[in-house]
Amino acid sequence: MMECSAEEEDTAGVVDMTTSEKVVDLLNQAALISTDEKLTLLKQVQELIINKDPSLLDNFLDEMIAFQTDKSIEVRKCIIGFIEEACKRDNELLIRLIANLNMLLKDESVNVVKKAILTLTQLYKVTLQWLVHSKSVSEMQEACWDLVTQMKGDVLALLDSENDGVRTHAIKFTESLIITLSPRTPDSDVPKRQEGDIRLDKVPRDHSYIRYDVLCEEGKSALEKLLNFMVHPAISSINLTTALGSLATIARQRPMFMSKVVQAYETLHANLPPTLAKSQVSSVRKNLKLHLVAVLKHPCSLEFQGQISTLLLDLGMPQSEINRSTPPVREQRKRTRHEQYTEGKKVKMEPALMEDDEDKEEPMPLAAPKPAVVPVAQSAIDLTAEFLRPLLTSENVANLVLISMVYLPDAMPASFQATYTPVESAGTDAQIKHLARLMATQMTAAGIGPGLEQCKAREDEAIKEEDSVDEHGSKDLLIKRKLPAAMIGQAISVVGGYTEKAPTAGVPATAKRLPEPILPSAQTKMSGASGRKKVFRLSDVVQPLSDGQIEKLSLKAVKRILHSEKAISQSGMSHVRVKLLSRLVTQFHGVMKEDVLEFILEDIRTRSDLAFSLLYQEYNKYLSQLPSGVLESYDHCLYTLLSGLQEKPEQRDGLFTKLVLEAPVITESALEVIRRYCEDESRVYLGMTTLKELIVKRPSRQFQYLHVLLDLSSHEKEKVRTTALAFLKRMYEKDHLRDYVEKFALNYLQLLVHPNPPSLLFGADKDTEVAAPWTEETVRQCLFLYLSLLPLNHRLVHELASVYTEAIADIKRSVLRAIEQPIRGMGMNSPELLLLVENCPKGAETLVTRCLHILTDKVPPSPELVERVRDLYHKRVPDVRFLIPVINGLEKNEVIQALPKLIKLNPIVVKEVFNRLLGTQHSEGSSSVSPLTPGDLLIALHNIDSTKCDMKSIIKATNLCFGERNVYTSEVLAVVMQQLMDHSPLPMLLMRTVIQSLTMYPRLGGFVMNILSRLIVKQVWKYPKVWEGFVKCCQRTKPQSYSVLLQLPPAQLNSVFERCPEMREPLLQHVLSFTPLQQAHIPASIMVVLESQRKLQVKPAEPEVEKQMEPVAAPAAPVFETTSLPAAVLTSEMSETSEQQDTVVPKEEEEPMEQEQVAPETQEEEAHSVSQGESAVRSETPSPQPEPAEEPMEGLQSEPLHPDDQQPEQEPEAEQAAAEAAGDSEDVE
Amino acid sequence: MLCTLHQTEPAWSGTFHGSRSVLSASFSRRVEMPSHPLRVAVVCSSNQNRSMEAHNILSKRGFDVRSFGTGSHVKLPGPAPDKPNVYDFKTTYEQMYNDLVRKDKELYTQNGILHMLDRNKRIKSKPERFQNCKDRFDLVVTCEERVYDQVLEDLNSREQETLQPVHVINVDIQDNHEEATLGAFLICELCQCIQHTDDMENEIDELIQEFEEKSNRPFLHTVCFY
Repeated sequence: MMECSAEEEDTAGVVDMTTSEKVVDLLNQAALISTDEKLTLLKQVQELIINKDPSLLDNFLDEMIAFQTDKSIEVRKCIIGFIEEACKRDNELLIRLIANLNMLLKDESVNVVKKAILTLTQLYKVTLQWLVHSKSVSEMQEACWDLVTQMKGDVLALLDSENDGVRTHAIKFTESLIITLSPRTPDSDVPKRQEGDIRLDKVPRDHSYIRYDVLCEEGKSALEKLLNFMVHPAISSINLTTALGSLATIARQRPMFMSKVVQAYETLHANLPPTLAKSQVSSVRKNLKLHLVAVLKHPCSLEFQGQISTLLLDLGMPQSEINRSTPPVREQRKRTRHEQYTEGKKVKMEPALMEDDEDKEEPMPLAAPKPAVVPVAQSAIDLTAEFLRPLLTSENVANLVLISMVYLPDAMPASFQATYTPVESAGTDAQIKHLARLMATQMTAAGIGPGLEQCKAREDEAIKEEDSVDEHGSKDLLIKRKLPAAMIGQAISVVGGYTEKAPTAGVPATAKRLPEPILPSAQTKMSGASGRKKVFRLSDVVQPLSDGQIEKLSLKAVKRILHSEKAISQSGMSHVRVKLLSRLVTQFHGVMKEDVLEFILEDIRTRSDLAFSLLYQEYNKYLSQLPSGVLESYDHCLYTLLSGLQEKPEQRDGLFTKLVLEAPVITESALEVIRRYCEDESRVYLGMTTLKELIVKRPSRQFQYLHVLLDLSSHEKEKVRTTALAFLKRMYEKDHLRDYVEKFALNYLQLLVHPNPPSLLFGADKDTEVAAPWTEETVRQCLFLYLSLLPLNHRLVHELASVYTEAIADIKRSVLRAIEQPIRGMGMNSPELLLLVENCPKGAETLVTRCLHILTDKVPPSPELVERVRDLYHKRVPDVRFLIPVINGLEKNEVIQALPKLIKLNPIVVKEVFNRLLGTQHSEGSSSVSPLTPGDLLIALHNIDSTKCDMKSIIKATNLCFGERNVYTSEVLAVVMQQLMDHSPLPMLLMRTVIQSLTMYPRLGGFVMNILSRLIVKQVWKYPKVWEGFVKCCQRTKPQSYSVLLQLPPAQLNSVFERCPEMREPLLQHVLSFTPLQQAHIPASIMVVLESQRKLQVKPAEPEVEKQMEPVAAPAAPVFETTSLPAAVLTSEMSETSEQQDTVVPKEEEEPMEQEQVAPETQEEEAHSVSQGESAVRSETPSPQPEPAEEPMEGLQSEPLHPDDQQPEQEPEAEQAAAEAAGDSEDVE
Repeated sequence: MLCTLHQTEPAWSGTFHGSRSVLSASFSRRVEMPSHPLRVAVVCSSNQNRSMEAHNILSKRGFDVRSFGTGSHVKLPGPAPDKPNVYDFKTTYEQMYNDLVRKDKELYTQNGILHMLDRNKRIKSKPERFQNCKDRFDLVVTCEERVYDQVLEDLNSREQETLQPVHVINVDIQDNHEEATLGAFLICELCQCIQHTDDMENEIDELIQEFEEKSNRPFLHTVCFY
């Protein structure tokens, strides 16, 4: 080029000079004149000594070269051109000139450097060729080659230059280098001009100095460098263009690299550097298109045609044009050829290696050809694409689009704007395939995807196979690994579009590429010249600290961090401190941790973040050590924190809860703390709420937590217990916890069948297994949970029944006392309760009765309940006591039928029965309608067949009626008397009732007189008992009854006087006080009786009466005899009560019943029953309006004197029912 | 190139897009000839209007400039859009001028073709085809994308020898006289700026960005190697 112009220089002044003289002259001139002219002169010299008379070259070489230090850039460039030409002319000059070129390569002017690079590009080939053709290689030649190799490395390093133009030249150098250092194949495009150029296949494998395989590896590594260079995210547009062109050249001239090239194009296309401006993007795309077409036209593009044409389509080239550029299909030998290339090389390598063993400068790699390199990268994308393709369903794609919306940059990047073309074939198979491939390219670039993993695995294997790791081998590995790493940065930044800087933290080697080209020769040093410099090693200059010192220092450091809380929080970096502390403390054990925990607990409220951080860090550590890790340290941390919180006074910030709920794992000991927390009465609610949250939110171990709560349900502290029960009831409503809770409750219930309470109930610490008896406490402990569940699940009631039958008496008593609330809660409509009544297991009668009582205590029985009880009574257990609770639900006749049995029961029970019947029991307005009216009841009592029931009981029963003064009003009694009058025969107790009524209501006197009169009509004297009562009545109603007496027949009147002689005189006086007219109405016979000496008359009558009475009132007879003695009554009463107590024990059959009646405290009942007995006595004594005459009647009333067979039977019932009954009766009186 | 004139008739009276400030700024810049003069080629389709206008201005400003066309023939507007005057690249401007004068002097005077040819023949004798020129340049400026593509295709199809870089820049210029004049000034300013740089290759990227912004039109830019 430039040198061509030199020919014109035929200066006039040098016509007759020899060439040599001319040159000297020119050089002399050149030393003095200005730059422009100097250039001309120098070019003339160059022409003369190189072309015209090369023999002069050696002579003037030094003079020429002297100009390389000229101030002018152009002169220096000119010298470089001279060096090139000279060396080409005479290769031997390389030995002398190459060092100069090396100097110029490091010139301060970039233009000189660029020129030097261009020259080296040529001279590298020249040198190689020269050495290859030399028969024997001299030491000088070797040195020359070494320098050239070093310069080559230097230029490659200039890919990192900060100057765009220098980089461009370096790229071109690399391109040329790659082509030189790889073999030409038949497929290669060979530019005519370069036909004779040296290239790898011309290098003999047995060359004494040049190593074929080393060159081969250098070539490949240069390609890797170039590829890496290209994916730099901040690559300039011109560099990129240059690289694209270089790759196209490489692909065409060395088709073995075509797959890499195409892949690089693909990657680039998908990831255009974000730094490019819009028009630059267009330019690059245009270039890409151009080069792709160039590659496509190459016959070896066959297997890449799919990828290339896809790219071209994307770049906007019509299909028809693509087709035009596609070469006709040829037989495909390319692939196999590549294999041969690598394989062949490897095989032949071995001998060459042997020969040069002594060479340490460039130790030979074992060829390690890495056949995988080219196909691997290729197939990584292929594999990933195949993997992706079936995944690209419409839904997945839509989701991907939606997700990526978030990451879109604010402004549309130029590269995107330029490359965007609407997808025309969306959804077609081809397009999906393309999309999969695009994504695979991205993924592979980012270092992820199944394809890459497989390839990596393959690669690793290949690496393992290498026996020796030499410098070159490792260098190549280094580069190879760098590739994906470098691509990560690139891919991310491009896809993201807005990342200014590639996140190259992990890839230092590539990070320094464009931005900061320090040490241009660093990379080559790394490979070729390691160890030349003394490496700084820290260990050489420092002394190890002793263990003690280390510990002390680290401890102090942590302490400082720990106590710098305030200062750091002011700087807003608390989170860093927290993180730091937790990391440090977790890594080192011992005191440090204790210190930190203590520190936290000092003010946990403000230091909770540290607490949490520490806790998580501990857990992390545990996780990282899995599966062998132990939770010990974590446990300690959690335990300490929780205990600290638990022991602290009340806090309302819920930190305890937060800690528990946010702890990754609750350990046993932590759970223990939680339990303790719950046992604290002041925090029980918070504690259990926390526990509940645990149960709900940590399903994996919920039963463990639930168990704690269950345990607390029988806690001795009431508040704890009730809270636990309340929580458990809620738990019980959750299906998945239900079984567990229920089972627990039933297990506890089941404990009641043991004769002694199991040690379980006393807690683990109290070792009281030694046959302690059941107490009210222990029994209740077993019942708490069960009973609170009962209203929620009525079915459980059967369990109770079965346990009950097996339990001992003490337990039964306690159970009966305990069930009131829950049973009432269930209500009498509970089907399960009805079923229990219906089935009434043997042994559970008392339980059932108790239930019935509880149910009907405040409300009238439902028909269903009545029906069940009736059935039970009639068909299975004919115990009349069953009927009592439902008595108001029975039919009238049923009640009347049961009455005899009922009144035989314990007076207290009888009282209760009557209360029910009379509606005097229910405080809240007796809604129950008794089947019997009060009158009916009293009449029914009178009508009881005396064979079915002893008179004593009946009398007591009627007395109960009279006790109810509110119910038995004078009207009611009048009606009763009226009706009783109509009965025939007259009820035995008629007159007793009449007298009683009269006593209660004296104003009934008139009515009674009427009754008496009518009795006379009924010949009352025929009923000895009634007659006796009649007389007594008359006696009582004295002046009034005179007229009645006067109506009696004389014999009967006489009989009256015989019984009550003191009546005669007043009656006579009464008659005598009559007016004569009135007196005239008195029959004479009467008068006779009145006036006659009574003794005569009475005597015959007396035995008569006596006889009449005898058979009827036989059993009652003794009563009359004893009743007159109040003292006796009293004593007998006393004896009765005392006997009651005695008889409690022997009475065995009745025992269950008796317990059922028993309500709360046995002892109290006993006291009650005693006082009851007393009060009964007391009431009995004063109640009969104290008239001595009444005493016999009184006797009738206070029957008890004979503790006959019935008495003890009833007596036990007195125990409980007495309490109420006694109260009632006292009220009435 | 000019054959497109009729198809884009309104373009003849087209508005001035060029920024005055850019142009005036360029004139105020003192042109210094650097040590190595920039070898510039300006290329359009027929080497008649746009490339010649730029050639004219650049050479007046002292650049080492040449102009070319990339079309297979030289085309000039004819009496109708579908009847252009077609010549081969061997035909001189003079011959074309005479030919057109003979054909319809009034028409070709009126549409400025004769004037243009007259100017051209004073610059050089005949149009040159870029593809046939083996000379090397530092900078090739094209006037239309299609031309840019052709230049690139040609440069890339050549065998590489010295690996000396050549920068190719496309400045879109509509094929009419006014735009050609404006375009020529723009190209001139661009060249001056490039010439003025200390290290062209290192600065050209930025420079072009700057120009794009100033002139409000996109420049394609690439590098090829000889």
